[in-house]
Amino acid sequence: MKITGKHTINAPRDQVWGRLIDPDSIAACLPGVETLDKVGDDEYSMAMNIGIGMVKGTYTGKVRLSNMNEPTDYQMYVEGSGRPGFIKGTGTVRLADGENSTTDIEYNGDVEVGGPVGAVAQRMLGGVANRMVGQFFGCVESKITGE
Amino acid sequence: MYPSAFDYFRPSSVDEVVKLLQENPEGKIIAGGHSLLPMMKLRLAAPASLIDIGRVPGLDGIRSDNGGVAFGARTTYDQIIKSDVVQQTLPVAAEAAGVVGDIQVRNRGTIGGSIAHADPAADFPAVLLALDAKVNATGPNGQRTIGIDDFFVDMFTTSLEPEEIVTEISVAKPAAKTGMAYEKFSHPASGYAIVGVAASVTLGNDGNVSAARIAITGAGPIAVRANGTESALVGQAPTAENVKAAAQKASDGMTFLGDIHAGEEYRAHLTRVFTERAINKAVERAQG
Amino acid sequence: MVASSPFGSSIKRREDPRLITGAGHYTDDVRLPGMLSMAILRSPHAHARIVNIDTSAAKAMPGVVAIYTGADLVDLVAPVPCAWQPKNSDIKVPEYRPLAVDTVRYVGDGVAAVVAENRYMAEDAAAAINVQYDTLPVVVHQLDAMKDGAPQLYDSVPNNVAFHFHLEGGDVDAAFQKADLTFKQRLVNQRLIPNAMETRGAVASYQRGSNELTLWCTTQNPHIVRFLMSLCTNIPETQIRVLSQDIGGGFGSKIAMQAGEMIASVISKDLLRPIKWMEDRSENYVSTTHGRDHVDDVEVAAMKDGRVVGLKVTAYANMGAYLSTAAPGVPTWLFTVTQSGAYDIPNVASDVYGVLTNTTATDAYRGAGRPEATYLIERVMDLVAKKLNLDPTEVRRKNFIPSDAFPYSIASGAIAYDSGDYDKTLDRALEMIDYAALRKEQEQARAEGRLFGVGFSTYIEVCGLAPSAAAGAMGFGGGLYESAVVRVHPTGKVTVLTGINPQGQGEGTTFAQLLNGELGVPVEDIEIVWGDTDRIPMGWGTYGSRSTAVGGSALVFAARKVRDKMMKIGAHLLEVSPEEVVFDQGSVHVKGAPDQVKSFGEIALAAYTAWNMPEGVTPGLDESYFFDPVSNTFPFGAHVCVVEIDKDSGKADVRRYVAVDDVGNVINPMIVDGQIHGGIAQGLAQAVLETAVYDDNGQLLSGTMMDYAIPKASSFPNYELDRTVTPCPFNPMGLKGVGEAGTIASTPAIMNAIVDALSPLGVEHFDMPASPQRIWQLVHEQKGN
Repeated sequence: MKITGKHTINAPRDQVWGRLIDPDSIAACLPGVETLDKVGDDEYSMAMNIGIGMVKGTYTGKVRLSNMNEPTDYQMYVEGSGRPGFIKGTGTVRLADGENSTTDIEYNGDVEVGGPVGAVAQRMLGGVANRMVGQFFGCVESKITGE
Repeated sequence: MYPSAFDYFRPSSVDEVVKLLQENPEGKIIAGGHSLLPMMKLRLAAPASLIDIGRVPGLDGIRSDNGGVAFGARTTYDQIIKSDVVQQTLPVAAEAAGVVGDIQVRNRGTIGGSIAHADPAADFPAVLLALDAKVNATGPNGQRTIGIDDFFVDMFTTSLEPEEIVTEISVAKPAAKTGMAYEKFSHPASGYAIVGVAASVTLGNDGNVSAARIAITGAGPIAVRANGTESALVGQAPTAENVKAAAQKASDGMTFLGDIHAGEEYRAHLTRVFTERAINKAVERAQG
Repeated sequence: MVASSPFGSSIKRREDPRLITGAGHYTDDVRLPGMLSMAILRSPHAHARIVNIDTSAAKAMPGVVAIYTGADLVDLVAPVPCAWQPKNSDIKVPEYRPLAVDTVRYVGDGVAAVVAENRYMAEDAAAAINVQYDTLPVVVHQLDAMKDGAPQLYDSVPNNVAFHFHLEGGDVDAAFQKADLTFKQRLVNQRLIPNAMETRGAVASYQRGSNELTLWCTTQNPHIVRFLMSLCTNIPETQIRVLSQDIGGGFGSKIAMQAGEMIASVISKDLLRPIKWMEDRSENYVSTTHGRDHVDDVEVAAMKDGRVVGLKVTAYANMGAYLSTAAPGVPTWLFTVTQSGAYDIPNVASDVYGVLTNTTATDAYRGAGRPEATYLIERVMDLVAKKLNLDPTEVRRKNFIPSDAFPYSIASGAIAYDSGDYDKTLDRALEMIDYAALRKEQEQARAEGRLFGVGFSTYIEVCGLAPSAAAGAMGFGGGLYESAVVRVHPTGKVTVLTGINPQGQGEGTTFAQLLNGELGVPVEDIEIVWGDTDRIPMGWGTYGSRSTAVGGSALVFAARKVRDKMMKIGAHLLEVSPEEVVFDQGSVHVKGAPDQVKSFGEIALAAYTAWNMPEGVTPGLDESYFFDPVSNTFPFGAHVCVVEIDKDSGKADVRRYVAVDDVGNVINPMIVDGQIHGGIAQGLAQAVLETAVYDDNGQLLSGTMMDYAIPKASSFPNYELDRTVTPCPFNPMGLKGVGEAGTIASTPAIMNAIVDALSPLGVEHFDMPASPQRIWQLVHEQKGN
């Protein structure tokens, strides 16, 4: 399943970059994150409770950031498994200066979903994934602008 | 297909339902169960308790209400199909109920369950949007009425509070010279709507469209009104060309879902096609 | 009821009152004292190494009795057997264990078996097992899997090519040299999920003391299960009893030895408790074998008058993650011997590659190889017609094997078709559809811009499997004769024991009709028994449309032995010589003197009291027969499909469907019609509804009935059926078989109609599934051009 999209954050690029790669910020903004612990350089183990409506589940797994090209782009790898199934995805996040000190973010990723949730929820997965990404960036923005 | 363990409650009043919802934040109301139970059997949903409202009085029945219709939340699709009141006043509700799932689902599924569950491909959210319905709900803070335009928020998400239960759905008496239709392109496997369009069109004395409510389900994450199409229709003569032109706008600005049977582009196309069909049929009925 | 002929009587099925009032006894209805439930934890990854399995939390959960992993079973049970290995195909059978030991190779591959007091507890515990996987690259498509550098499933199978089969006859190169027209076409025959109403399962009960394993299971072939189970578990055949009597549909998906049955059996032996395992539907979708999944490249050589003179086929069959029990024979022998269809094509060469991929294993599914072959040759006929601007029915007639050319040996000489009259069924079908008027209707529709199409399928198929020597030559690991015992009781009632094993086809009725025809015993006095290896001599089961032609013939021969003995006993009782009596609808009377008679009941009682037996005749009336056919049988027919495509949605609606079939002599027309109806629905469904879809990571996207579209009664119109009767000359009743014909015929009929409907847009070929979205995309693109 491909996830692509754009998002504009009302904050300058270096601030946005700082937030995107900061574990506390990720933990606060990635929807449903219950725990996020550093286990290595730019690698974190995590537990997330995510879903839509009543189809919810806890996934445990890890997040890894790599190929960091501050402050332009980086790659993120996420894997998690739980009772509803498992997810595994890599994506590239690119930042560019927008107008009026904003940041234009472009993301491009590939997510594999398996297990019961994959078998049943095909039509919703793309929508859910994009929604979660949107929520993440929206939260990052509010954390910056809220200060 | 074996759910995990759950507690089971069978309240005998709406107040008891609300109390149980407060005491059991991981609990779910079950009415017909044909959306909830499959999810539980696949262990995609695992509510800690089920609150069975099957015996709660005051939640069923279809009654005439100032020329309109009030549906108890627990009204089944089969009851809607067989109701004289519905056939006379809001035949589109019976028409839509007749294409939901199959006989077994229609005997169990409820109108209240349909909107509270808010599956993006359910039929009734579009129908009720086109009918400008009002939703009555009861919660810890008492009763309130939610306009249908404010009801659907996101996929499987409504504006109901976690401890509220839908008690009744009411539709006002349609204006004179109003025609309604529901056109659906069914998913070949699940029977849900790949695209379902409900149209309510009112004609003025000049024969032109004086009001229109068009709602689309199945195509996107929630049922939505086709505002662009509505604006393009109002004030126009309901000719085939005008309807076609208005229907082209139905897919504007929508986010589309996709699966192995229908990708986004195809859904956008079907949205326009079935909007046109639904409006044409509604116009025909308004004129007849 | 006593009929004068076993043919033509549409008596109601005797099985049905029991089955439709909930009194059936299926595997899941078996309840035994002390029975435990088994749940199998299955891999969510398509290809991965198992790093660690932690069952500690699961073992501690309530109701859990034991948990087994692949390592625990290695010494208890052999790998899942592959029992059909075509010779000269360089076949490499990888070792595939019922529970994976160190590598999982498809989503659904079993990893652990949990045994608990009930299924709910077993599922709860399975969810608590922690498996660590190291994922490996995945390959899903057979063409990708064959490429250098593709992920390898097994070290022992280079390039994932498990076999390469070749069959040819005539001189294909010369044919292509002299042809007026040559062309190539790739055809995809997509993967399907069988969807029998009852999923697969088993109750295994190993008895302490007697050391006997009683296995109830949902198999189409209980004796094969007993045979293979004894080889895989070292439990002697004499100590295994397999019971499979009421089965809710098979369609080929219940032929193979299933890992679940094997696991349940050895766990029962280990724990000395009965073990039940029943798939739920989403488990069935990944664990039971799938059907079809071919990519076929055909090259055609034709003359300008429409005669096809040469055919070259290269087929790439996706076998899935291992070779299932009967699987290799399906895309090889069954596919290639019907390659030239109803046509006299003297030069044919077929190459078949069986390729392993990280998907569920494929095996036989209604038609097994013949739908793939028929789809190919029937599309070829339409392509030839299109390219030469000839009518598709005329091209077919030009190529038909003439009715006086039977037995007809195919180009390679591998088999000979028994009998046929192909013009006759086509004539009748065209008459029923009013062909001239139909083409006029099409002209009119096209003038209005409507997409209106007519498609034909003049098919043959090979069934009535099979002469045992031929089976052996084809690498089948057993015989394909059939057994029958006709056992008359002292009170004159009759039990028939048959080695066939129906899953709803109606032999409980039709076999009684056959016996009634032979011995005159009323149908209500006849018991047909199948599905119990303790009671029934060796048999090979029900698949390949063999039950009536082979099992029915065995019944007839056994019945005739009974008849002959009764005549001797009857003559003796009438105090005349055996030449002076006739056997007439169950009684024996003196020729010309019908009042000098002994009834069936009198003779039966006499045979069993044995107070007065003729010289040299032993007591009893209990005869068995093993019938080994000398030929396969070849049903044939002509189907016509009329479709109209809604341009706006792309949906293809079947307007009319005509089927004229010849299945040899017909015992019960209603049952035969029923088989045709069901078969047609499955074949049409492949064309427009059903597709198993895997993503590139090997996840089955069509994992439940929410996404896998099986047909409903409302999907298709009423069919118009008719029949011709061309008996099979090689069995006593002239029977051919009908179980798969409808499916084999219908897929090409509707696809030809859809292509015909789209041809004004310049379309010559369109791959399945012809879903509304795919058709709309084509129409949309064409409009843009």
